[in-house]
Amino acid sequence: MTITKTAALAAILSAAATGAALADWPTDRPIEMIVAFAPGGGTDIMLRTLAPFLEAELDTQFPVLNRPGASGEIAYTALSQARPDGYTVSSLNRPGFLTMQIGRKLRYDPAEICPIARIVEDPGTFIVQAGSPYKSLADLVAFAKENPGAVSVGTTGVGTDEHLAMLQLEQAAGIDLTAVPFGGANEAKTALLGGHVAMIGLNVGEYTQSDHDAFRALAQFSEARSTLAPDLATAWEQGFDVLMSSERGLAARCDVPEEVRAKLAAAVDTALANPEFQDKARQQALPLAYKSGTDWQADMPVRLARYTEIFKLIEGGQ
Amino acid sequence: MARPSGPAKGDRPDLLSAGLFIGLGALGLYMGRGLESGTLAQMGPGFLPRAVCLLLVAVGLAVGIPALRRPAQAIEAIRLRPLLVITAAVVGFAYAATPLGFVLASLWLILAGSLADPGGRWRQVLPLAAGLTLFGALVFIYGLGVQVPLWPF
Amino acid sequence: MTFVDLLMLGFSEAITPANLAFCLLGALLGTLIGVLPGIGPTATIAVLLPITFFLPPLAGIIMLAGIYYGAQYGGSTTAVLVNLPGEASAVVTTLDGYQMARQGRAGAALAVAALGSFFAGTVATFAIALAGPTLSRFALNFGPAEYVSLMVFGLLAATILASGPVLKAIGMILIGLLLGMVGTDQATGAERLTFGAIELFDGIDFIVIAIGIFGFSEIIANLERTGSEGVKLAPLSRLWPTRQDFRDSWGAVLRGTGLGTLLGLLPGGGATLASFSAYSLEKKVSKHPERFGTGVVEGVAAPEAANNAAAQSSFIPLLTLGIPSNNMMAMMLSAFMIHGITPGPTVLTNQPEIFWGLVASMWIGNLLLVVINLPMIGLWVNLLTVPYRLLYPAILLFCCIGVYSMSNRIFDVVLAAGFGLLGYAFRKAKCEPGPLLLGFVLGPLLESNLRRTLLITQGDPTIFVERPISLAMLVATVLLLALMILPSFRRTREEAFQEEEV
Repeated sequence: MTITKTAALAAILSAAATGAALADWPTDRPIEMIVAFAPGGGTDIMLRTLAPFLEAELDTQFPVLNRPGASGEIAYTALSQARPDGYTVSSLNRPGFLTMQIGRKLRYDPAEICPIARIVEDPGTFIVQAGSPYKSLADLVAFAKENPGAVSVGTTGVGTDEHLAMLQLEQAAGIDLTAVPFGGANEAKTALLGGHVAMIGLNVGEYTQSDHDAFRALAQFSEARSTLAPDLATAWEQGFDVLMSSERGLAARCDVPEEVRAKLAAAVDTALANPEFQDKARQQALPLAYKSGTDWQADMPVRLARYTEIFKLIEGGQ
Repeated sequence: MARPSGPAKGDRPDLLSAGLFIGLGALGLYMGRGLESGTLAQMGPGFLPRAVCLLLVAVGLAVGIPALRRPAQAIEAIRLRPLLVITAAVVGFAYAATPLGFVLASLWLILAGSLADPGGRWRQVLPLAAGLTLFGALVFIYGLGVQVPLWPF
Repeated sequence: MTFVDLLMLGFSEAITPANLAFCLLGALLGTLIGVLPGIGPTATIAVLLPITFFLPPLAGIIMLAGIYYGAQYGGSTTAVLVNLPGEASAVVTTLDGYQMARQGRAGAALAVAALGSFFAGTVATFAIALAGPTLSRFALNFGPAEYVSLMVFGLLAATILASGPVLKAIGMILIGLLLGMVGTDQATGAERLTFGAIELFDGIDFIVIAIGIFGFSEIIANLERTGSEGVKLAPLSRLWPTRQDFRDSWGAVLRGTGLGTLLGLLPGGGATLASFSAYSLEKKVSKHPERFGTGVVEGVAAPEAANNAAAQSSFIPLLTLGIPSNNMMAMMLSAFMIHGITPGPTVLTNQPEIFWGLVASMWIGNLLLVVINLPMIGLWVNLLTVPYRLLYPAILLFCCIGVYSMSNRIFDVVLAAGFGLLGYAFRKAKCEPGPLLLGFVLGPLLESNLRRTLLITQGDPTIFVERPISLAMLVATVLLLALMILPSFRRTREEAFQEEEV
């Protein structure tokens, strides 16, 4: 009896406490935004552009904290160790978030991290130096067939978009490439400009912002051509089954109260609808594609299965 | 074997360096024992740490063995008071900063830290602690936006 | 438009009252955060970045650039006065700068540092203006293989820095390399030497080690001698450098500027590599290498000129190629991007006022910094007359806040205290900590590039001798090694340090 009573009382008290915390959220405490990549990358620029609009929307500070490394695991681990009070959010990148769950021991439980909203969908692309002999994927594949392993491809780590696109191309064309990990897109670009790697993976958004006299894109890896690069043929059009686009958004711990996550998602939605933000996004070449956290979460399992398949196929083939 | 033959032998600072080098190298080898070395073409995460640790142990031996035979040289006198007091003050500051706020943490750091100096006088230390805390709060917390609460509540 | 026209265009942009004011504001703010240990320019700029949204593009960029090179000036002040390097490139300034301060020549050290930095900044700014695109092509020749050879050379050169036995210096470098490997492995995501601590996932921050090993252990060692009363500096002999100081340092400034301008182009450890290779070079060409480390003016002039030149020339890859060479420059890139400007060759032709305005403002900023800093030297030096028992609690507090503020973590402060104990042990063992910090900074660059190189060549190490720049640096490394091992050299070296070791 007493035990039930105490438990009930405790439940009421804690519910009241949560309720009070909820009603307050956000107080003037800053909401820390963990970015899984170094300053200057696509995800970093997106969130730094978005932060002032979220600040205006929620009337609090959004300090950006870069925690780069290990394809994002460092940031997700930091997020999963933060208090579930809605004052810590992090960037969420797909496919990186899903692929690290395949065959890798993680320091956090992916099921604890729930997306708040998707903000951008940016197709992947392979770029080479403007003077390179490869004019299309077919040229590159022909060379790689003759010289297995000789084509080095700059990526930003194991299981990142670029690495997966490379794996898919290897699979689709029956070739062997060498992945070379770099600390970020900028390091990889420098290496490509210096001719130290043959090709690097980038996103179309990053590509359209680079100097077009120096680089040439070979293909984009979306189902349909991106609005950012309407003249660039997709890999499908060129006859290779490579599908890879980078989706970037925000996430929080799943045990952050539902209402808080909904408020955050609504703030992102409002910010994305703001013409001023859309202007800024256009300048930064951010292909906006809002998707609610629930919808995004819903197709995670399907994608995870697809990526697991890619990894398995490649492992089986080698 | 490693024992110096008499009180007149052994360069103690060098023996201490050798101990530090070998100790840290061995610690690194132990901590990194589960890491894969990989091959030269596909270097694993354990390749270089292991190489560096082995070199460190080798350098430690190269420093330590000749030092055994050199004439004795003592290590400068160690006084525990500043060592312990300063370390305790800093660690105390660290654990006080978030729960108790900057003001209390800073007062603790300066008051406890000044115990390291036997010549300290409270009449000087107290205003110093108050002044530095005020300065720190104004410059770092208001001015530069360091994210730490000022008060425990 | 000719070069002169473009330069005039730049000055006319930079000299507007608003832009001048932002330049001054940035330089002042930069000096402040440079003087305060632990608070670095990257964090400050990250905080200020959103504010630049509301400024005109050039004004925002000018202010951020001012913070960046202002911090370089300010950092040397702390290094000279209290033997505390605020960032990696100031480590070598502590070697002779602090000794000069102890001899009552802090004013001379600071003045030479400021004037040397100004000269280096001027030269490097003109290098950006005249030869930016050419220099950036040189930087692009540095692939993974070249980096490996450069780092190997740099690490060996770091042993020259220390005045103790070479073997101990090598041991300290190795410890630095080991500390640099703590954290998540970039290539595989494997966790290394972290003791299972999540806070060590990102590795250890430079500031934690620098403040522990230099800051805390210096305080402990000072108090140990005879308590605070015993820490007495020689009375201030003279505020300004003597004519002899100028005569001694101008060559060092020239060489430091040259090295700094070139090495600053390289991503990552450019400025650090520049400052300590400049010091090592001076020690090599000097007629009295044995006096380095005891307070010679060249030992301050060369690294200060080098790191300021490097700070300026690290803008070159960003401005000419649109590729940032370090975190700081990545923040600058974001500042450009926020205003819809993509740095690169197109900016040079389409928006010359941005590029030339920034170049001109850099020079003006350097001038302002000298004007601000020279009169402040008197003030700084007076700080040294404050009794140590009042000074050390302040240093302690600034160090603690600085470490804490990097990522608002208790863990970092405790870790710094731990490094304080380690640094104390190193002092007792007579191991100099400088090489450790250099190994720590350069180690991760060495490792990631070595692994990249061998991935690209599929395990074939001959690439290191096939590529000319890499080969040249390896030959230089072997020569240097031979010089150190050759008996005659060793004899002079031992003679040189006999006085200190006995």
